[in-house]
Amino acid sequence: MTILITLMDPSFEHFDHTADMGLRIRAATLPALIEPAGRALYAAIGELVPGEPADPATFNLTGTDAAGILREFLAELLHLVESEGRIATAIDVTQFDEHALIASAQTANLNPDKTDFRREVKAITYHELNIRPIPGGVEATVIVDI
Amino acid sequence: MEKKNYTGPIERLDATRWRIPKSYKQGMNVDGLIYADDKLIQAITQDRSPEQVANVATLPGIVKYSLAMPDIHWGYGFCIGGVAATDPSKGGVISPGGVGYDINCGVRLLRTNITLNDAKPRMRRLVDTLFNTVPCGVGRGGKVKFDKKELRRLMTEGSPYVVNKGHGWDSDVDVTEAKGKIHTARPDLVSERALERGASQCGTLGSGNHFMEVQVVEKIDDARAAQAMGLEEGYVTVMIHSGSRGLGYQVCDDALKALKDTPRKYGIDLPDRQLVCAPIESKEGKHYLGAMAAAANFAWCNRQIMTQLARQAFADVFEQPAERLGMTLVYDVAHNIAKMEDYDVDGKSASLCIHRKGATRAFPPGHAELPDRYKGIGQPVLVPGDMGRSSYVLVGQPGAMEHTFGSCCHGAGRRMSRGAAIRASKGRSIHQELLDRGVIAKARGRTGLEEEQPDAYKDVLQVVDVLHNAGISRRVAKLRPLGVIKG
Repeated sequence: MTILITLMDPSFEHFDHTADMGLRIRAATLPALIEPAGRALYAAIGELVPGEPADPATFNLTGTDAAGILREFLAELLHLVESEGRIATAIDVTQFDEHALIASAQTANLNPDKTDFRREVKAITYHELNIRPIPGGVEATVIVDI
Repeated sequence: MEKKNYTGPIERLDATRWRIPKSYKQGMNVDGLIYADDKLIQAITQDRSPEQVANVATLPGIVKYSLAMPDIHWGYGFCIGGVAATDPSKGGVISPGGVGYDINCGVRLLRTNITLNDAKPRMRRLVDTLFNTVPCGVGRGGKVKFDKKELRRLMTEGSPYVVNKGHGWDSDVDVTEAKGKIHTARPDLVSERALERGASQCGTLGSGNHFMEVQVVEKIDDARAAQAMGLEEGYVTVMIHSGSRGLGYQVCDDALKALKDTPRKYGIDLPDRQLVCAPIESKEGKHYLGAMAAAANFAWCNRQIMTQLARQAFADVFEQPAERLGMTLVYDVAHNIAKMEDYDVDGKSASLCIHRKGATRAFPPGHAELPDRYKGIGQPVLVPGDMGRSSYVLVGQPGAMEHTFGSCCHGAGRRMSRGAAIRASKGRSIHQELLDRGVIAKARGRTGLEEEQPDAYKDVLQVVDVLHNAGISRRVAKLRPLGVIKG
């Protein structure tokens, strides 16, 4: 396994994909995947530093499988960054299973002076998207288009 | 999910073609066909892109082959460098994954009257001026603002709209693929979210592999074609590579979401959910094609506005109007797109949906869609290589119509992942290495130069030679980089 960026946080890692980038996230439970998944996405974009607090965000996403819902959640976070210049600073997950994600997040505007964008994530793809059980928890794999 | 080798069957057909038989995988409707020489095929089978060629062969209504150009590499769903023709009269489908997120990502080339000797003393200033004039990098908005009403008009009318607003010359439109406008665009089908993502991004370069490069024509292989394009050895050119920015990414994302249950509805079994699709003639298929065309028109406007910004930068640095500098557009080609085109299939004319994902249209001499200026030589095909070596201008040949649905390669193709490129840069200065090769590079992102370093790409000459030798395209000119700006 190749780790692209050295991270202190063992709950996620980035792996190589020829032109794009893979995120692998591990947690004890499905709901616990959400927060490190967000951080994995932010770390792929760069060093996103929060500034002034902004309006909270809510996530009410439904679907037919947990991996697809996780992808939707990451697409929402990407939209917040790209279109509104906001990041989630804390996420409270009420429900995450194969049917729905219900969560709320505190957000902050990006600090333009301290934020370091490294690359543009165009989209969260469906390619090889999955969540699988592993000893002691679950592991999600997501490939983002760069 | 890490990179693995392709272990399926692959048979040599001749010096430039390799076949994946349709017996390889259940559901394949046609063979896979990869253009490559002996060396390239070894590199190609180091990842799973041939598997993706086989997966695409399962799409309903696919005609003749699932094709891949020699710059093929592993993508998501479709491989990069893939071409698929589907026949609507035979249940053929449109797959947004066969276009990609960056709808109408493409390349354009400007020629100039500036010699290398005239450019050399001003290169640093020129690169700095381009960097300050052309918005690039993540989070950079454009200098030209459009409200939502204007955006919808821009997506309907394509590049003529922005040219009429002063962002270009009338002559630019004639040498833009499809004259910068797909007539079937449906901006009303583009979501509010896509408009939000695109609102500030028309006229911006973006990041990743997008660039604006100042080059010199180093070698002419076809004097007649080069003359028709206004290219001459020792003269400066400008190449622009960008697409539909956030608007296009969102149109694709919206489509993938909207189509996720469509394959089941139409009884289509897919090996990868990124290949989701709908029959071309279905409501869902038409919806995507209308929104995709709107995003494609946005992309032509994006490159058009940057063209004019480049002209301004040159005019400032060389203290002459861009007209006097002879900065005419040579051509603009899309390399991520799906279009309806007419082909001869088994002696009958058929209107097919040609998916090109990381592949360039390459119409031969005489094709009705070519501007008069290029009717005698064939369509210019613009193939960027890498920042340190070279790029090529080709022209389409009759073989493209016979064998590849009028398609050719789109670049050198990556041989290294982004992570591997960063690791390979450790302890090196890519900026200095480029300077040593005579290339001044300026990038906004910290890792941009490392991820896009020359070693990350295959040798573009090897790629274009395969198609030259196969009679798909012909080499016209080699362009050497002098300066590059990136996001």
